[in-house]
Amino acid sequence: MNLGEGVRLVSFGILALIVLGGALGVVLAPSMVHAAFLLGLVFVGMSGLYLLLNADFVAAAQILIYVGAVNVLLLFAIMLVNRRIPDAAAGKRGLRNTIAGFVCLFVFGSLVNGVVRVPWPISTETPIANSTLRIGEQFFSYYLLPFEAVSILLLLALVGAIILARREFVPDRTESGDQPLVLPERPRAEMDETPKLPETTGRR
Amino acid sequence: MFVLSGYDYLLVFLLVSALVPLIALGLSAVFRPKIVSAFRKSTYESGIEPRGDSWIQFNIRYYMFALVFVIFDIETVFLYPWAVAFDKVGLLAFIEALIFIAILVIGLVYAWRKGALEWT
Repeated sequence: MNLGEGVRLVSFGILALIVLGGALGVVLAPSMVHAAFLLGLVFVGMSGLYLLLNADFVAAAQILIYVGAVNVLLLFAIMLVNRRIPDAAAGKRGLRNTIAGFVCLFVFGSLVNGVVRVPWPISTETPIANSTLRIGEQFFSYYLLPFEAVSILLLLALVGAIILARREFVPDRTESGDQPLVLPERPRAEMDETPKLPETTGRR
Repeated sequence: MFVLSGYDYLLVFLLVSALVPLIALGLSAVFRPKIVSAFRKSTYESGIEPRGDSWIQFNIRYYMFALVFVIFDIETVFLYPWAVAFDKVGLLAFIEALIFIAILVIGLVYAWRKGALEWT
């Protein structure tokens, strides 16, 4: 599709609005579950931006991994812990928000400073259409060793995740004072007795 | 410059899929009867009344599935360019990809033996 410059500009504006609005929502949403879903929206918008930059493979990978896997993992983590935020800490929240706001302003300022100062080189070459093919060729010629190292890294991540998530490493002793983040798990014997639905007595 | 081809279909698809729920909700807003009663506010007007909170605590076992899924999802992304460039890269790449898969199969076997894939 040969998009005109105007169409690209408009789509960029819409996508940037989606990403920025979603990111603000992630920070400001009172419910963590809503924040996680908004984060998914941000990832989808980022994927659209990649697509506008002719990076179709990166866009697809963004949807597949970030929206399909990482965001689901985040949602699971939120629903696993599921702590209602107590209102007792509301008194300190003002000070905390002020400090966090200053830190965020500092980070934002330094990022803007960097973006403005760096002379971004703009390539005048025509972008390639079949980037997936080119990535595949590069994987097996120039980036062969990193490609294999990635499999080792994934293996380590898998083994580490299983070791960390297994039940014998779940702390069950409560430290004095602060409430620990509990990862509750019922023992296996109890898992069998699922709550029975009440019998329907011919009322249909 | 935008060089990717075939994405005008995607654009049309996105527009249509955004319009369908809007039309459905709008039409039912026009045609539904405007009766306000206490039953309107219940979750199911003619079913079993739900009890408790809908935001329940998940079992950690689901988290294990999600973790394993993330790993193999990333593996898919790395194997896809190999499949696309399969004609160009030759026999060496085939062997290399087999090594890549074999290393991850070790992880799959580990997860299996440790019971991370058991549902109950």
